[in-house]
Amino acid sequence: MPEFQWRWGEMPQYWRSFAEGLLVTAELSAIIIAGALLGGVVIGAMRYSKRRIFNWPATCFIEVFRNTPILVQVVWFFYAFPVLVGGQLEPFLAAVFGIGLNITAYSAEIFRGGIQSIERGQWEAGRAIGMGYFQVMRRIVLPVAVRRMIPAFANRMIEAVKATSLASTIAVADLMWQGEQLANAIYRPFEVYTAVAVIYFLAIYPLVLCTYGLERRFRIDEEVKL
Amino acid sequence: MPVYEWDFAFVLNYRDVLWEGFLGTLKIGFSSLGLGIVIGLGLALMRLSRFWFVKAPAIAIIEFFRATPVLVLLFWCYYALPIVIGVAFDPYTAAIITLGFQTGAFMAEVYRAGIVSIDRSQWEGGKALGMNLPQLMVRIILPQAVRRMVPPFLERSFELMKTTTQASVITYGELLYKALVLSAQLYRPLEIFTLVAAFYFVMLTIASFSIRYVETRLDAART
Repeated sequence: MPEFQWRWGEMPQYWRSFAEGLLVTAELSAIIIAGALLGGVVIGAMRYSKRRIFNWPATCFIEVFRNTPILVQVVWFFYAFPVLVGGQLEPFLAAVFGIGLNITAYSAEIFRGGIQSIERGQWEAGRAIGMGYFQVMRRIVLPVAVRRMIPAFANRMIEAVKATSLASTIAVADLMWQGEQLANAIYRPFEVYTAVAVIYFLAIYPLVLCTYGLERRFRIDEEVKL
Repeated sequence: MPVYEWDFAFVLNYRDVLWEGFLGTLKIGFSSLGLGIVIGLGLALMRLSRFWFVKAPAIAIIEFFRATPVLVLLFWCYYALPIVIGVAFDPYTAAIITLGFQTGAFMAEVYRAGIVSIDRSQWEGGKALGMNLPQLMVRIILPQAVRRMVPPFLERSFELMKTTTQASVITYGELLYKALVLSAQLYRPLEIFTLVAAFYFVMLTIASFSIRYVETRLDAART
């Protein structure tokens, strides 16, 4: 086996590939996170509802997306869904659906869990002084529930960013995909994949540190109330 | 829009291939789980050490594996690592190393939380009886901590089973990989991937109900 020669010096000249990839990763993450938060609130509220027409579809949605692997969802949306509707689906959109709906399902459960952690008595008190559903939700339940949800949401967002790397398997030009292309083009898999891993880590780790801070802060907050 | 004609019967002719894939999934899932349990315990014990040169590498490994996508780590382990160490891995080995370490990194936190949750007096009691650290761990701390670790441990295993699908990208023959190969041959992606998704759904739903059952039993036993 010939001695391996490090060629780190070659890496910086390809910064454009990495930067372009990182941009797509960021874009995909932002769309997925925004969509999942919005969708999660709606589906979480439906799941919390006692009415079967709301509760039932929401439960199905959550169970289906949580109990199948996210990569299977991505692959399904890319290869199978277009056959079903008889058209084409852009890889980027397939990734948004596949990853986004998965994160939405988890967000919905976090949202429901947060609302559910508020005592029923709070609801009754709100209703008793004549507030409607949305008023009670906005003025009484959410202000308290949201603080309990934030750490869990933050963790799920990190999972979302990590999951965007799966989009590379259906040829979305994200950081991982750019790395693969570059590694094959210049035959330097070690340097390229190491660089990709380090870039992902540097992008995601600050978010992890934020969640540690959030967890600490909200834990103390809850304790003080007791 | 033309109405699509479903043909599951045609796809089911190839169920042997998918079955083989499922066995591959189980094989890789359980080997990486076993590896993860061992690595996790090792990392947790290192993490709890009072010596910084033992503690620091454990923290670095745990944080790195938790904050980097599995897919990237799989590629790194399969395509990059062999170049430096001069040993080529087959997809199976590369996958269980990656998934084992990733699961271990998450498990380490589960172990640590469990161990830390045991009251100080238990440690002191053991020490007063003249036990050394391994004896203390095995006889006093771990038997009590394990109970509290079971629910997060099961949840991690559940996540791991879903993550095994990512081994398909380094051509390990698990269920999704077999499905991708089959779909390229048969031009029936809709049936194949719907079947695979449904199969996962049924399996994982059963698993998730079992996990919830165990959790409620543990809760009941505690109170």
